[in-house]
Amino acid sequence: MERNPYLPIPVEVVKITTEVDTKDIKTFRLAFVNKEDEESFKYLPGQFGELSIYGKGESPIGIASSPTQKGFLEFTVQRAGVVTTALHNMEEGTVMGVRGPLGNCWPLEYLEGKNVVIVGGGFAFTTLRSLLNYMLYEENRARFGDITVVYGARSPGLLIYKDELAEWAKRKDLNLNVTVDKGDEGWTGREGFVPTVCKEIAPSSENAVTVICGPPIMIRFTLPVFFDLGFSKENIYTSLEMRMKCGIGKCGRCNVGSKYVCKDGPVFSLAELDKLTKEY
Amino acid sequence: MEKRIIKKESLADLVKKLTADMTVYAPVKEEDNIVYAVLEEGKEPFLPYKNTKDAPKNLFFPQAETLLRFMRTPRGMELEEDEAGKAKELVLFGVRPCDARSFVLLDALFNQDQWKDPYYIERREKATVVSLGCVHPPYTTCFCTSVGGHPLSTDGADVLLTDLGDSYLAEFLTAKGEALLAKWGDLPKADEEADKKKAALVKQSESEIQSRIPGKEIKAWLDENFEHPFWDTIHKNCLACGTCTYLCPTCHCFDITDEVKKGEGKRVRSWDSCMYWLFTQETSGHNPRTSQKQRWRQRLMHKFKYFVDNFDAIACVGCGRCVMYCPVNIDIRKIVTDISKL
Repeated sequence: MERNPYLPIPVEVVKITTEVDTKDIKTFRLAFVNKEDEESFKYLPGQFGELSIYGKGESPIGIASSPTQKGFLEFTVQRAGVVTTALHNMEEGTVMGVRGPLGNCWPLEYLEGKNVVIVGGGFAFTTLRSLLNYMLYEENRARFGDITVVYGARSPGLLIYKDELAEWAKRKDLNLNVTVDKGDEGWTGREGFVPTVCKEIAPSSENAVTVICGPPIMIRFTLPVFFDLGFSKENIYTSLEMRMKCGIGKCGRCNVGSKYVCKDGPVFSLAELDKLTKEY
Repeated sequence: MEKRIIKKESLADLVKKLTADMTVYAPVKEEDNIVYAVLEEGKEPFLPYKNTKDAPKNLFFPQAETLLRFMRTPRGMELEEDEAGKAKELVLFGVRPCDARSFVLLDALFNQDQWKDPYYIERREKATVVSLGCVHPPYTTCFCTSVGGHPLSTDGADVLLTDLGDSYLAEFLTAKGEALLAKWGDLPKADEEADKKKAALVKQSESEIQSRIPGKEIKAWLDENFEHPFWDTIHKNCLACGTCTYLCPTCHCFDITDEVKKGEGKRVRSWDSCMYWLFTQETSGHNPRTSQKQRWRQRLMHKFKYFVDNFDAIACVGCGRCVMYCPVNIDIRKIVTDISKL
């Protein structure tokens, strides 16, 4: 029989990065304890894992690293409940578990040959970062058209992946737009809400797909902007979150209609979501 | 398929014979209830039963089970032992055909092409199911024929026993069933007369089913009416006690929690219920199903639409337990019938 899907894969916390000045969002770099697990853990951007801390439980979190980065996984986690609090209290060197990769991925094949607009808000930039790094990877970049990123946070201190943002800003093959609702003394960048910035940049819907993740309020005000730009519901993708336990479509709580977010999602196009019940 | 005859007076002895080298679960009387329990050597199965109060899904999908054990080490909590692969051979004797059918439905979920559930599958593979057909359906609340079953259905059974009057016709349906026959030894072969009697009983038992519901017919309405005023009516009396989901042979929703005591711990899977508010409560405070109306709609939709969409079968076997034991008399038969009239 195949590997027991309930059995966490042992990983060691090798690096912890505090992402924001409120200190409640950290990125955990996890290295596989066993080499063979690393080889068998084949994932794609958009998939998630169940972070497993024995004695506390499990929490489903999107994978923030890209499969093009070898030797480790990264998860960016906000401290919120029992498991994520335990995770935040961990030190480098601790051994924990991860189950996965779980769920579907961003529509990578569909994105090939198209222009891609990535829209992210707050700390919901994790699997978008995975997607971005995947597309920017040297061997992959030519397969995708223009890449536009709009990423916003409430304040400069709440932007995550600051070092990478600086690196991406230097690239010529990427149109990066970072914005904050309100800047501080040191902020020289753009100010404004994500929907407003999207409207200003006005990416063409011609041969283009938008991938969007963020707080519901941001998504609600951003979608009309993209509809006005001519993006169809088939060409706007997002990722859903639900309470989960098993992550493999059995425990019965993350369904939206007949679909399980854990197994049939978390990535859906708006056209697909329209066909589902509005209960998420 | 082997067909044999078992004399009525020898059935209890045959069951007892199995207890010598196998774990046998059979209906036994425990105070006022009839439940499946391990038949200790020498103990008699209770045969004049209608059905057990609890569904036998517990044998393959326990109400609470340890998935794995862990212990504290200098590097943190580490895995000590995977509890998968420890299932034992067992015989489940005297399962009613509705309950045996529930195993086929649970198989569809736990033994999907992708994501196989080793705990369930191993128990299931190591169990031999002996069904006892309902020549006279035991309750007025039985409605198996409306949801794809039959009082003498062989679904999910390795052996089906049919009461022919002074003897049982025993049909050994699978390799596991035939292995049981080998243990029982020389039983007289069934003749044509027995076949004829059985054929007549198939018709007669079906005609004795008193409850019929349009279980399949409401699917088209459910497909279109997630939002409908009807949903505002069905949950009004519901106490959200979860009895229906706990007694249901096909309800399979579960929770996973960790328990720790003195540096050792276990990860436990236990039954959960869509009738509970916490079932979908997220850490952020958001809850997709905040009202009992939404939870009742989920329960009905899951059984009569979602499961049908995913596995092409209704997730209900018509045993009637939820009807009999609901403390406020909510009757799923009435709800389904009412929907069919909308």
